[in-house]
Amino acid sequence: MNSKALALVGGLMAATALAAAPAKADVKIGLLGGVSGPIAAMAPSMVEAAQLAISQVNAQGGILDGEQLVGVVGDSACNPQGGTDAATKAVNIEGVTAIVGPHCSGAVLAAAGSVTIPAGVVLVTPSGTSPEITGLDDNDTVFRTVPSDDYQGRALARTLKEQGYDKVAVAYINNDYGTGLANSFKSEFEAQGGEIAGYAAHEEGKASYRSNLAELSSGGAETLVIFDYGDGTGLTLLRQALENGFFTNFIGGDGMKSDAPIKELGAENLTTFFASSPVGEKSDALDTFNEAFKGAGGDPDAIFVTTSYDAAFLLALAVEKAGGDKAGVAAALREVSNGEGEAILPGEWEKAKKLIADGTAIDYKGAAGDQNFDEAGDVPGTYALFKVEGDAFAVVSEMK
Amino acid sequence: MELIGLANYALFMGIFIGIYALLALGLNIQWGFAGLFNAGIAGFFAVGAYASAIVTGPAAEGRLGGFDMPFFVGWLMAMVAAALIAWPIGKICLRFRSDYLAIASIGVAEIIRLVVKSEPALTNGARGITSLPRPFGDLPYVQSQMAYLAIVAIVLLGAYSLVERQFNAPWGRMMRAIRDNELAARAMGKNIERRRLEAFIFGSALMGLGGALFAHFNRSITPEAIDPMVATFLVWIMLILGGSGNNRGAILGAAMVWIIWSMSEIATDQLPAEYAVKAKYIRLFLIGLMLQLVLRFRPEGLLPEPQRGKAVADSNRE
Amino acid sequence: MDMLELLNFYIIPGLVLGSIYALGAVGITLAFAILRYAHLAHGDLATLGAFIALAIVQASGMPPLAALPFAMIATAVVAVGIDKGFYEHLREKPKIITVMASLGIALMVRAVVQVVWGVDAESYVRGIVRPETYWGLRIKDREIWTVVFMIVLVAALQIFLARSKWGKAMRAMSDNPSLALLSGIDNRKVVVLTWIIAGGLCAAAGVFLGINTELKSMMGWQMLLPMFAAAILGGVGRVEGAVLGGLIVGVAEELSVLVLPSEYKAAMAFAILLFMLLVRPTGLLRGKVL
Repeated sequence: MNSKALALVGGLMAATALAAAPAKADVKIGLLGGVSGPIAAMAPSMVEAAQLAISQVNAQGGILDGEQLVGVVGDSACNPQGGTDAATKAVNIEGVTAIVGPHCSGAVLAAAGSVTIPAGVVLVTPSGTSPEITGLDDNDTVFRTVPSDDYQGRALARTLKEQGYDKVAVAYINNDYGTGLANSFKSEFEAQGGEIAGYAAHEEGKASYRSNLAELSSGGAETLVIFDYGDGTGLTLLRQALENGFFTNFIGGDGMKSDAPIKELGAENLTTFFASSPVGEKSDALDTFNEAFKGAGGDPDAIFVTTSYDAAFLLALAVEKAGGDKAGVAAALREVSNGEGEAILPGEWEKAKKLIADGTAIDYKGAAGDQNFDEAGDVPGTYALFKVEGDAFAVVSEMK
Repeated sequence: MELIGLANYALFMGIFIGIYALLALGLNIQWGFAGLFNAGIAGFFAVGAYASAIVTGPAAEGRLGGFDMPFFVGWLMAMVAAALIAWPIGKICLRFRSDYLAIASIGVAEIIRLVVKSEPALTNGARGITSLPRPFGDLPYVQSQMAYLAIVAIVLLGAYSLVERQFNAPWGRMMRAIRDNELAARAMGKNIERRRLEAFIFGSALMGLGGALFAHFNRSITPEAIDPMVATFLVWIMLILGGSGNNRGAILGAAMVWIIWSMSEIATDQLPAEYAVKAKYIRLFLIGLMLQLVLRFRPEGLLPEPQRGKAVADSNRE
Repeated sequence: MDMLELLNFYIIPGLVLGSIYALGAVGITLAFAILRYAHLAHGDLATLGAFIALAIVQASGMPPLAALPFAMIATAVVAVGIDKGFYEHLREKPKIITVMASLGIALMVRAVVQVVWGVDAESYVRGIVRPETYWGLRIKDREIWTVVFMIVLVAALQIFLARSKWGKAMRAMSDNPSLALLSGIDNRKVVVLTWIIAGGLCAAAGVFLGINTELKSMMGWQMLLPMFAAAILGGVGRVEGAVLGGLIVGVAEELSVLVLPSEYKAAMAFAILLFMLLVRPTGLLRGKVL
């Protein structure tokens, strides 16, 4: 290697050392997201929602002894390479106490397998929905605030059947999110006696899906169930289905409950469009969050923002409970969300901090559900079916 | 604490650099020495990673697998599988010159990626294969990272010395002769198709091995890992930056790219917090810009191909 | 399935999609033939063009088709600037260096789009448009515009290449660069001209993709591989070949759903390409073999 290259490497190393200068007074949590890459359109809102939780903590007295909670954003690029890189950096260079993210299941599996599980850092993913995450041998350090696809698919199938949809076609994006939802939806819908008259995966990012739609509609179904992202390929699919009149009713999974269809296609065209999404049960947790997020300039209808917020807020509670001890975060996380104790709603940091200081048990009731973790670190979902009303989504019915 | 963290991160970088250096080395055999424009690295990476995952991974219902072989058998199988896939592809595609081979190999890699994503019985589809064994994975975090780095380094060193020896052997001279002047080599009675096929298969096997090392490092392999950007184009950038035709250059290029990759993030993290998300886009811009600068000032790569004999190497090449 | 259904749901969407691919593929094929490298930033330049048109539409309220010429000019200027700033000094080096440089440019252009316009899906006009029916054929106005504009642009380009002095110079450079240089053709002007044309067509591809679907920051990158397949399929250096290639790729992708599982739709372009390379390596219209 010549001297120029050596000098360059040396200079970069020095820059790293400087950049990593300790800021002792802060408690850091990593916010890893697929900022670049295929879900680039979804990631910013999710990161913002997590940052809302952090700013609420700081505005209401900070964490531990009035210290600042800092969210360190990392780009997991929605792939294992980016996920492990961002996680290693967060854990080792930033010294985070816990991690919210990564967003994509592949990045979660890789980051957990090679970084956070061995390093004993708690990881809470707000959007990694793959059933594979359930089975990780994780020493109880991997959690998620989004229910596994399996649950939502089945709940949606039962709800639709109850509401009288007997024959549907299913279009799903060919990734872990789409396949997971579609598989569980299909098996439950058929078990309930419904008919799947078309069932096909599609690759993301194509410009035309009309042939796919024509093929799906040839089975004679009037209703199309879409498992895709409303600000990605799902939007194109929905637009082309509406324009060409392939189907009359449209049902989406939680990925489709995005403001993009309303913004781009117009609410007046979406009168027969419904989407399921997780909600906080029997509480105004969701409304509280919606208001706060709107106040912060965010869009509460964006995908996975509720789960992102819950993940960050839960981790803040757990860090507080564990007294800042990294090794105790996992146990504390279970304690603040085991369904027993005084209810804490989104944003109620001051109250929670006081209760923790008094040694009272608390139970966080999140914007995306009660967030009571099971053995594997998963949460059971509470879903509702939403419809478009005005320029926003409104609950139609609970899903069981 | 901070220094230890930095050292831990360096360990991680070392492992990643080692794995990508294997890919770059494989590409160097194909492009640097045989002049084969393989733009389907991701395909061979995927075949290797999934072959090893199937052979060593735990059993699962409805999917091929559950052989529970030790990791080194998996790695061997990864090389064999990548080579076996490379053979028919090479047979068909190597007759295309340069850019045509590039687009043909991109096509093959995309088809492999779609198969991997869409065939649950073979690869568990979009969900990928998890719970792979990782050698020395039961050790504590830092020790385990060190052990894996050692394994990667040994594998890389082995591959490097093997490739280096081949290059200086008559085989390597013949390859360069074919690359630089195909007609003359043919006139001298060299079996060009066969030599090219050898280089293609040999390089692809190394890419497969790289894929296997990557899968076991993460204990999982998912289709997101074989996106053309991170598994093909990135490797090309490494080889060209490092210096194609030079094995040490290929390894250095892998190191350079990962250092640029990581340092650019540290640079953009200096932006105020409200730009935290935008900073990641600016980071991609910086990576692109750094690539331009290196290409501008060292277009032959950091370590250019050593001039053996007369200086004709680059002049005839497209 | 009856004939009308085949036309309405497979052939017509395929032709519209193919027209968009064709616009990009023409630029790629020109760059390939005259500059002699695969330009990987082509897709992201198309994204940039589409977003420039969006900015014009939002600022002035004019329809996207009226904004198209401005977007084409702006993107052409950007393309020439990129060439001057980043590709020009690599011209004497092995071509692979420029290919890598164009990959870096792709990242940079995309980053600029994401910083300036953000990453949300956008559209030129809110709402949906239902197709009109002409003798049983269901066609939307914007689809007619897409195909018509593609034909007009390509025809204009063909006339330019065939009749004008500079068009002939470009063809000469493509056929035999050393002879062209010897006969006194100014290489630099030809390169600038190539970038103006390629950049403008890129923007057109992006704008029409945006008009027919939505604008997303990754839209161009995702179109890159089919566009390359189209360019090679038609024969490198052949403008009408790129158009034909684009239309074939577009229609084949849509038709593939009838015979293949739909998740393999994206593989169709490559399957055709591989087959073509095997039986006829010069492409459909006898392009050059590089």
